[in-house]
Amino acid sequence: MEKVVEVNFGPQHPSTHGVLRIKVKLDGEIIVDAQPVIGYLHRNAEKLSEMGLYPKALIYMDRLDYVAALNMELGYILSVEKLMDVETPERAQWIRMMMVELNRIASHLVWLGTHGLDMGMLTPFFYCWRERERVLRIFDEITGSRLLYNYFSIGGVYSDLTPKGIDMIKEFVNTFPDRLEEIQSIFQKSYIYAKRTKGVGKLTLDDAIAYGVTGPLLRASGLKWDLRKNQPYLFYEKVNFDVPVYTNGDVYSRFLVRVEEMRQSTKIVKQVLEKLPDGDFYNKKYAKPMLVRMKGSGESYVPTESPKGEFGVYVIGDGSTIPYRVRIRSPSFANLQAVSIMLKGYKIADLTATVSSVDPVFGEVDR
Amino acid sequence: MNLFFFIMSILYGILKFLHWPLWNWYLYGYPAGLWIMYFVDAIIEVVLVFAVAMLVVVILVYVFRKYMADIQNRIGPNRLGPWGSLQLIADVFKLIQKQDIIPKNADRIAFRVAPYIIFTPVILGMLVIPFGNVSILQLMVVNFKYTLLFLVAAMVISPLGEVIGGLSSHNKFALYGALRSAAQDIGYEVPMMISVLSLIILAGSYSINDIVNAQKHIPFVIPEILGFIVFFLAMIAKQSIPPFDLPESGSELVSGFSTEYSGMRYGIIYMGNFGFMALASVVVATLYFGGPVGPFFNSVLWIAVKSAVFMIIFLLSWIALGRVRVDQFLNMGWKYLLPISILNLLISSLIAIYFGGAF
Repeated sequence: MEKVVEVNFGPQHPSTHGVLRIKVKLDGEIIVDAQPVIGYLHRNAEKLSEMGLYPKALIYMDRLDYVAALNMELGYILSVEKLMDVETPERAQWIRMMMVELNRIASHLVWLGTHGLDMGMLTPFFYCWRERERVLRIFDEITGSRLLYNYFSIGGVYSDLTPKGIDMIKEFVNTFPDRLEEIQSIFQKSYIYAKRTKGVGKLTLDDAIAYGVTGPLLRASGLKWDLRKNQPYLFYEKVNFDVPVYTNGDVYSRFLVRVEEMRQSTKIVKQVLEKLPDGDFYNKKYAKPMLVRMKGSGESYVPTESPKGEFGVYVIGDGSTIPYRVRIRSPSFANLQAVSIMLKGYKIADLTATVSSVDPVFGEVDR
Repeated sequence: MNLFFFIMSILYGILKFLHWPLWNWYLYGYPAGLWIMYFVDAIIEVVLVFAVAMLVVVILVYVFRKYMADIQNRIGPNRLGPWGSLQLIADVFKLIQKQDIIPKNADRIAFRVAPYIIFTPVILGMLVIPFGNVSILQLMVVNFKYTLLFLVAAMVISPLGEVIGGLSSHNKFALYGALRSAAQDIGYEVPMMISVLSLIILAGSYSINDIVNAQKHIPFVIPEILGFIVFFLAMIAKQSIPPFDLPESGSELVSGFSTEYSGMRYGIIYMGNFGFMALASVVVATLYFGGPVGPFFNSVLWIAVKSAVFMIIFLLSWIALGRVRVDQFLNMGWKYLLPISILNLLISSLIAIYFGGAF
């Protein structure tokens, strides 16, 4: 009689963060083999982007990683601007930086809350959502939307910061670190959480590099690689922040990396508020009616550090108003490959911990 | 006065009023009328216990929801009835209305029976708990020499229901839930039994009534602190609430042994869990904190207060803690709880030998 049982985790399973399906072969409680199966949320974002004008592809970028939509927009916008040699006013770039960092906080909060649920902790979820709600209110005030913003435009942003919005950001930045401390302590002071996550889902640095893993996972495995530091875009070289690095490569260090990143993002937002210059928030040369006539030729790729890892859009223009090719380099897609080696030999209970520590968002994986 | 005689005398009064002397009815020389009265009496008692248990469950679920919501910055149920107190009733009606789904390949009989097995210990356990006295009426349904053994035997039934339900569902997640339930049982039940054994040694009796009376001066939690810790952890594990909710483990195995259950069957499992929480807190309050025996006066009030405290602690554990892994739980059971309970057995034996008169 066969000892190994094959179980399908997902695509409809409470802790697969969307529609991930993992084919798991189990020997008792031990995972012998795990293969992630993706493609349940394929929405053809790349091809759709190639069918419309340059600014119109932005809404598809929003829907990639819907919990960090501004980060996705930034990757596309930077590539397109590089393709067309568009100059962006300084104020717009600072605003972009601040919004992206706020969105990074929101994205990590979503992760932290759902990670708590996966570990069987019900309460931190609500605390994380409470904080995320404040970020979303800020976005609502400034961009007009709560989830999918369509806020960045070629040559700037669509609307300036409002005084009320700045006040809200200031209030958030001042109170958030204490609240984060509270949320972190729920996890970190819990003996059970530490026991369950330390040494679980290990990913060695060699494996991480071989699989193209980026973002918090790579930093938890011990490589200090953050595109905001290593290949600065926007004004990241002008602000002061640290890149957290841990060497264990387990779920616990990923948790620490992400929490520390939220703290650093808060620091960046604070500095942006101090340094924010006056001026235009978009390039007057590319006013809204002009955007649809913009032509691009050549190719460009600007890697950015999204909450999940390296995100970039490779754009080829053939001289018309429609991009010839849009190729999305999505971080979760690459990170998810490593799941099968992260899981081998661990127990079923570690599966949810490990998969949630990867933080896959399926709009982005399946594109 | 015993509850049995109390109900019996009421029955007698009613029959006397109706001029229907049932107790004088003999069938072939046997007092059949009296037997019928006994039977009716027993049914009334069980229904009474069931009603009290259900009332406690309703209150407990409401408190759980409100308390949890309060901790989590939510409002909780607030629509139905005053402060949302009728929410559970509405939920029950919703569950009753639902389609009764039994998986195609499931073992139908076992699948149907399992929820009731989970609910059984709530009733059986409540039967033998002494709730104290109301003037001369003693609130205890059954009293005999070996009530503690009966209680322990009743309490170990419910995991059986989980195993049966999981195995009969014909679902891999349910199967894993059942396996975990079985593993978990073995993990905590042995230390739990041994800590109960040390109680028996200390009180010198198998009767819960005697155990309660032995705690007149010092509650057993003081000499038995190690045993209390073991028993308390075992009680948490027995209810399968976080951190030991392995059979159900919501996020790993979809919902463990109860994956395939829906509608009222799921409702009964849910009620059984909360009912068991009530039973467990009453049992802990009785065995280790003297139940109705308390400072200043002995009353039902004391056992209510004590068990309410434990219910809140159970709820807090549910709300605040994460889930342990199954191997960690077994480690805890076999490597720590078992030696601690044996040590506790030794200590209580020594106490019984040298200070035997104290209790």
